[in-house]
Amino acid sequence: MSDKDSHSESITRYEGPGIEERHGIVPTWLAIVYAAMFVWMIWYTIVFWTDKG
Amino acid sequence: MSTTANAMLDHGPAAPRTYATATGELFDRELILRYMAAASFWLVFAPTVGAIVALKFNFYDFLGHISWLTWGRLRPVHVMGVVFGGFSTAVIGLTYYIVPRLCGVPMYKERWGHHIFWMWNIGLAVGFISLALGYNSGIEAGEFPLWVSIPVEIVLCMLTIQVLGTVKNRTEQRLYVTLWYLTAAYIWTALNYAFGHFILPYSMPGVNNAAMHGLYIHYVVGLWITPAGLGVAYYFLPLAAKRPLYSHKLSLVGFWALAFFYPFVGTHHYIYSPIPYWTQTIAIVASMMLIIPVWTVVANFYGTFVGAWKQFQDSFPAKFIIIGALYYFVGCFQGSTEALREMQRLTHFTDFVIGHSHLTVFGTFVIWATAGMYWVTPRLAGRELYSKNFAQWHYWLTVVGFSIMAFDLTIQGLMQGTMLQAGADFVDSMSAMKPYWFVRSLAGITMDIGAALGFWNLYKTIKHGTLIPVPPGAPANYLPEPKWS
Repeated sequence: MSDKDSHSESITRYEGPGIEERHGIVPTWLAIVYAAMFVWMIWYTIVFWTDKG
Repeated sequence: MSTTANAMLDHGPAAPRTYATATGELFDRELILRYMAAASFWLVFAPTVGAIVALKFNFYDFLGHISWLTWGRLRPVHVMGVVFGGFSTAVIGLTYYIVPRLCGVPMYKERWGHHIFWMWNIGLAVGFISLALGYNSGIEAGEFPLWVSIPVEIVLCMLTIQVLGTVKNRTEQRLYVTLWYLTAAYIWTALNYAFGHFILPYSMPGVNNAAMHGLYIHYVVGLWITPAGLGVAYYFLPLAAKRPLYSHKLSLVGFWALAFFYPFVGTHHYIYSPIPYWTQTIAIVASMMLIIPVWTVVANFYGTFVGAWKQFQDSFPAKFIIIGALYYFVGCFQGSTEALREMQRLTHFTDFVIGHSHLTVFGTFVIWATAGMYWVTPRLAGRELYSKNFAQWHYWLTVVGFSIMAFDLTIQGLMQGTMLQAGADFVDSMSAMKPYWFVRSLAGITMDIGAALGFWNLYKTIKHGTLIPVPPGAPANYLPEPKWS
């Protein structure tokens, strides 16, 4: 397991409530959604900034 | 078993008020159980008013001869009742449980809790009576008159101070994502409530008022209901799944994306209005960009449950969290896309919008708060659920009734929008909606029956549930685990 993998799999425990959480990752498919949304945001903002009638 | 734990279990929630500090416990069981009981009441009351309001669409004269039971008086009671009565009371009660446990210290200014409880609930009761009597400030979702808004604002400020003080005093260094959401929700709402109730009604006329009202109402939804609901759900999610949270990284992406994009969405209800075009465009863009936090949260929730689906079968909190996440995904995607100009043209002034607001406020956040109530109530009362059958009925009547309602309102809105775009007369389009309204009413009544069974069951759990045995030598702050099946 690489350092990166072991870091993402590392678990933090909150003793009070007994909650555990992985450091975790952003899945690739979700990163693609983020990128697509940012591209769309820039396009839409430029094209629809003013009403072209 | 410790004497104090025995006393608590024998006498149920009627423990002395100093219980938390007297036993070294981090929270006040009596206070939280009171909140759970009050939230149970409001969560039956407000949806029942909603069912009456819905029936009036089909039966115009139903209770129409009594001024305080007319549609215009009861509708704000329903909306304010669900948002501030049911949801918020549950969240405040759960805050008194969650925040001390995550911070490792008792709530800051703990003694304020009981004063806040009475000020909040009496304020709500006076508020609903005032609304029914026709005293309404005229700001949607901010309709309480001034004599109610002032104590509510004081409560919000006191709660914000309590949460911030507890976080400051914490012994647990790392802040779990629930604390991010809850802290932000209280700060944002203490500010937004003052804006909506003390500034907006008195300072801005005309279209500026409409634009600012768009901000206010969406801050209620996006900067109170959403972060408070997510905070609660994130707390109970890994506990209910009995697995680690899937990704801390995703939880922070979701939080900051919500904090960044949500403040700009307010104007999306005023597309094609005299509000500047670029302002509308920013609102549309921000609404669509909310896909990022929503999909992030849903990925985190379902990622956590992968390999833990047995909990979905066995545990009531897990059932409510998972079904809430499904409604969250559907309702928020609907909300994002309905902001687009073409979708607004189709759906504005139709019940599509009502379907969306029910999917998010009730389907998601009230259901997540319900999950928290199911988790906390039996543990703090030290008792098994009074009736597991009633809990099953609560869940399934909610799921069936609510799914039918949401689907019905969505289809109805699209139908009416299509009719209007085709040039149909508005009154004719309304007449064509009668069968859908009737189905909506039946679905709502189904949900209400489920809620009445479920929340009465929680109340009976506090009073008469079977005591859960405490292992010998258990500390005074021992929290017993109820059996769900």
